Amino acid sequence: MKVKRNIGWLILLLFIALFPVTLGRISPYYNTVLILVGIYVILAVSLDLLTGFAGQISVGHAAFYAMGAYTSGILTAKHSISPSIALLCGLFVSGLVAWGIGRAVLRLKGYYLAMATLGLNAVIVKLITCFAPITGGASGLLNIPPFRIFGLTLQDHTYYYYFVWGVVILVISCCLALAKSPFGSTLIAIHSDEEAASTLGIDCPKYKLHVFVISSMLAGVAGSLFAHFMGFIAPDDFDIFTSILILVMLFLGGVGTIYGAALGAAFLKLLPEVTYRFQIYELFFHGLILILVLIFMPKGLLGILTNVKDWLLGSKYRSNPPSLGTEP
Amino acid sequence: MHDEASRNGRVDGKGKHLLWVDSITKSFSGLTALFDVSFGIERGHIKALIGPNGAGKTTLLNVISGILSPDSGHVYYRGKDLTRLRPHEIAAQGLSRTFQLVRLFTANNAKVLDNLLVGAHLKLKPSFVKSLFLRGTIRHQNLVVRETAYEKLRFVGLERAAGDTSPSNLPFGNQRLLEIARALMAEPEMLLLDEPASGLNDAEVEDFKKLLLAVKEKGMTILLVEHNMKLVMDVADEIVVLDFGRKLAEGNCDEISCNRKVIEAYLGSDYMKLAGGNHPE
Repeated sequence: MKVKRNIGWLILLLFIALFPVTLGRISPYYNTVLILVGIYVILAVSLDLLTGFAGQISVGHAAFYAMGAYTSGILTAKHSISPSIALLCGLFVSGLVAWGIGRAVLRLKGYYLAMATLGLNAVIVKLITCFAPITGGASGLLNIPPFRIFGLTLQDHTYYYYFVWGVVILVISCCLALAKSPFGSTLIAIHSDEEAASTLGIDCPKYKLHVFVISSMLAGVAGSLFAHFMGFIAPDDFDIFTSILILVMLFLGGVGTIYGAALGAAFLKLLPEVTYRFQIYELFFHGLILILVLIFMPKGLLGILTNVKDWLLGSKYRSNPPSLGTEP
Repeated sequence: MHDEASRNGRVDGKGKHLLWVDSITKSFSGLTALFDVSFGIERGHIKALIGPNGAGKTTLLNVISGILSPDSGHVYYRGKDLTRLRPHEIAAQGLSRTFQLVRLFTANNAKVLDNLLVGAHLKLKPSFVKSLFLRGTIRHQNLVVRETAYEKLRFVGLERAAGDTSPSNLPFGNQRLLEIARALMAEPEMLLLDEPASGLNDAEVEDFKKLLLAVKEKGMTILLVEHNMKLVMDVADEIVVLDFGRKLAEGNCDEISCNRKVIEAYLGSDYMKLAGGNHPE
């Protein structure tokens, strides 16, 4: 029963595991595409914790992505520190900055929070551009070494692919664990009604700060993975449009579900691989598909999948809560 | 008469009363919503707070639960000053409340059961560290809390099956009951109920009366803000009346229903007839 319910995920995992040695071997280009997909899945899923669960909209997620990437990039390229330690430093720095900024920024709500995070992103990008001696400025940071772990250099994209997707699966399982725990319920309560939540004993500012820090730390990890993959990073990779792209991925896939965010990220990153065939009409089709999805699938791509699954399995799976104990 | 009663209350109040509201004043940009309101609630009693619309009842409830802070005055709970505490800290002292307009959690398809689980927040004290690294503990806690949740559902008169539905699919009266069940999840010592019977039909009010008495039976203290006078007269041990932010009267049901000032301000001439009408103050 349990296996049967999870069979879809098992197939997906198997596909991810076998991809580089089957299809990826035929066209190695897709390995690199899927590495980027993985990085964006981490970004979208981490934003889902903050926006989908806690209801705190952020248009500055790329700022923390940048902090992870630049911390990791600077430490390895200029100070020859081991990439695995640099990744942890990137995670730590993103989290620390989020903790410092979050106290002030998270007092804001709705549009104001969106504006503040948007501003934060702009400031971070500007700072990166200005501190050229450290960050390489507008022309970017060069010579970031590939990832190395336990003395093994993951120069080959196939190895790096497995490393990135290992991290992706770890991140998704952590986010799911959080989402399904009482911690997740607390976030949903804050999302619904902060005042009502506080009268149940929930310290809303504290929980909002915690989820902001977690979400930012995960974005930092994604940044670090990106830096070591590309070997070269520039401020343009982390501008406001990146933040908006992550938000679009989240809403496209289905907000507040974790799976939806991952699906949205994969969809939006893979879409150009299809639409490039239309050549000069590429942007037109790209936009058209986005509009159609957002209009006709208000619950996102995941909503469609759920509907299809319900339809296939029949109604018995839909409205049968798992029973616990017996009714007297 | 009622002045004397309140003065007596003030003297021995802090010892005898579970909650003591001490000369609370609150104004909103010049408009005085509450002026020098004082009263106490004895442990295990149901105290009704009544008054015409705009009398400041909800404001007072918001002050007690920490959503608003008063301009002056104090709220003491078990002798502890709650005035400068934040709402979640006040909840941790053992005070739970409901809202006039039902405020259930519905984001992310939250179900009835999710609402109840959040109600147990003070017991679970979830943190992300626990959620990630103590999975076994969390799973065990979840099972226990679920059982408690079903127990509370049954206690307020909702079926177990309701657990998996969306709160917005419940009839209005049941949403109110769910909000009370959610407040009960924290096992509070005291409940603050803001017009819990508004929008209920007569049969539902009858059931609700039984529920209130059952809650009282469990030893909980209730501050009940309510417009339904029949319900108030049936369940309340004492009544305090607010009018234009001032305390008009305080006393037991008989005293209040005979109080001419109260009748004039609030109950209306119809009730005067009903209560006999010929009791001079």
